[in-house]
Amino acid sequence: MRSLRRYLVTVLIALFTLISFLAALQSYRQSASRAEALFDQDLQVLASSLAQQYQAGSQQELGLALQVWQNNQLVYRSPLAPETPMAETEGFTEHNFAGKRWRVFRQTPTALLTVIVAQPLQQRQQLADEVITASIYPVVLSLPLQALLIWLVVSKALSPIKRFSAQLASKKANDLTAVELEQVPAELDQMLKTTNLLFARLADAFEREKRFASDVAHELRTPLSVLQVNLHNASQQWQQSGMADSQDSMLALQAGVERMSALIEQIMLLNRTNPEHFQARTEQLDLAGLCRQVVADWYPQIEKKQQQIELLGLEHLSLKGDAFALRLLVSNLVGNASKYTQAGGAIQLELMTQAGKAVLVVQDNGPGIPPEEYSRVFDRFYRVGGDRHQSGTLGSGLGLAIVRDIANLHQGQVRLGAADSVSGLKVTVELPL
Amino acid sequence: MLINTVLMFLRELLPLFLLLATLLVWHRSQWRRFILLFSLPAILMLTLFSSNMLWISEQLDGFGLELLYSLLYTGCFALLCVAAAKRNAAMVLSAFACACLLSINGSNLLLYIWLPTQGNTDPSALLLGMALGVGIGSSIAVLWYYLLTELKQWRMLSYRLLLSLLGVRQLMMASALLIQSDWLPSGPRLWQTEQWLPEQSELGFFLQALLGYEATPVLSQGLIYIAGLGLLLWCSRNLKNNIRSAQ
Repeated sequence: MRSLRRYLVTVLIALFTLISFLAALQSYRQSASRAEALFDQDLQVLASSLAQQYQAGSQQELGLALQVWQNNQLVYRSPLAPETPMAETEGFTEHNFAGKRWRVFRQTPTALLTVIVAQPLQQRQQLADEVITASIYPVVLSLPLQALLIWLVVSKALSPIKRFSAQLASKKANDLTAVELEQVPAELDQMLKTTNLLFARLADAFEREKRFASDVAHELRTPLSVLQVNLHNASQQWQQSGMADSQDSMLALQAGVERMSALIEQIMLLNRTNPEHFQARTEQLDLAGLCRQVVADWYPQIEKKQQQIELLGLEHLSLKGDAFALRLLVSNLVGNASKYTQAGGAIQLELMTQAGKAVLVVQDNGPGIPPEEYSRVFDRFYRVGGDRHQSGTLGSGLGLAIVRDIANLHQGQVRLGAADSVSGLKVTVELPL
Repeated sequence: MLINTVLMFLRELLPLFLLLATLLVWHRSQWRRFILLFSLPAILMLTLFSSNMLWISEQLDGFGLELLYSLLYTGCFALLCVAAAKRNAAMVLSAFACACLLSINGSNLLLYIWLPTQGNTDPSALLLGMALGVGIGSSIAVLWYYLLTELKQWRMLSYRLLLSLLGVRQLMMASALLIQSDWLPSGPRLWQTEQWLPEQSELGFFLQALLGYEATPVLSQGLIYIAGLGLLLWCSRNLKNNIRSAQ
């Protein structure tokens, strides 16, 4: 199929022509057959009328009424004809007699002879209907066939568009490869080329963006590390040289650099776990074991803040997922809980299965999050209360965004709620088993 | 009479249109050249035969026309065989095969239109009959063309078989004319299907145009048909490669 338009126009015209002409031919045949039957009937009537002339007293039904008048005397009448003249005027007229409506023809060939012939109107109508119906019937019957064939042809013609849209619909979010179709019609060809060009440009743009964010974060991390070391050294030198007054400024500077390092780290992680870029390597893993490892990683900080942490529920919970991503998810939740919970607070992790899903609940007795903020905390760089968070902890505003991305990657979901304790936050993560 | 004109045009045009559509699918990429190659010899032969129709029909004890037609039908079949086997001259040979068929069917149509008895016929009935015949024939050819385009793409064997059937149909027509002229022994009748599927019905015309349907074939025709079909199928065994290289 080179052109949809040409295909549709030629095939539809051919179909219409073929069906209409065949229907016309059939109408012609049937009408001719009916007309022939009609003429045959007339011949029969004529023959019967002539026969009656020679068989006086015959009461054979002709379907016609016939009168012959000579010198105003009725010399012949058929059984259906009355004894009075059926018509008084010459030519065609309509009259009622014998309980019927008749079409009457009166002819006076000579001054002394008058012939009057009548036919019931109903019979005439019936004969005309038969001929007309015979000619219309094939045309009407051909309509459903035409409709079916049009549907088939249009479906066939539009099949490349259907295949094209099906390919587009089946594409995953990170699949920017070109769409390939066989036998592309001219009308679709340009659209296909433009779409593929757009995909190629989008793929380039995504790749540039990904590389740029990753490069920037990577390039910033090295000088920041150097800055941190130098700050540490400078702080020690200042202490040794007795410049204790500047200690507060130095601590503030160190906190700022640490926050920037954490932010860059989170940007890099966010970049890695972005569903548009992330290539998940799913494997069977034990979520309980993974939680234990994360708790062990965070334990030094938790101990430093004299917080209590406990891991409840299942001791083994096997599911399919990406180990790196899920570890990051749990780490962000435990890290957030530890960071935003006051010293001496409590953190609780609980693992369970529910309705065919693995459920991880992380809750603390920290300040929590107001319910009206639940929907916003998953936005990137959004921090509850801005930089004036009541915990005083400086965060990047990316932790929960990463958690949501990872949950989405695993076709799971994250819900926030109030902790079972008086205050505090409860984060529930559901992942398919 | 209208119906006679329609049937006459269908009988003469349908085989030609079907062969043309089938060969256009084959030479799709160079269809303009194909039409040109077909038209020129077709017009030449048509002019030559129709202008000398009377003289030709009087030759060979009055069987001149039948023998000429059977020669042209056989030539059409032979050209199709060679075209299917030889990739180099396929287009020229196919076009000549079509020209042979047109010269036969075109002559018959011209003869019908200019018959002295047509003088008594209502010209509007003749024109309407021509329009109906040409319309039905060309519509079938268009649909046939698109059907074969699909078949050629996905089921080359079906295309080969249909081309072979169309080719051997010409041989069947030649054999019927030769039997009619007593140049070919007829032998016993193979079957009788006139009651179920008359040759003069629409479907009968279509099958006759497509595969040389005969309601009462004889043994010699059956043998010729099988041999011809086998030969054309064998000649077209590399048709797929030939078509690919042509495109």
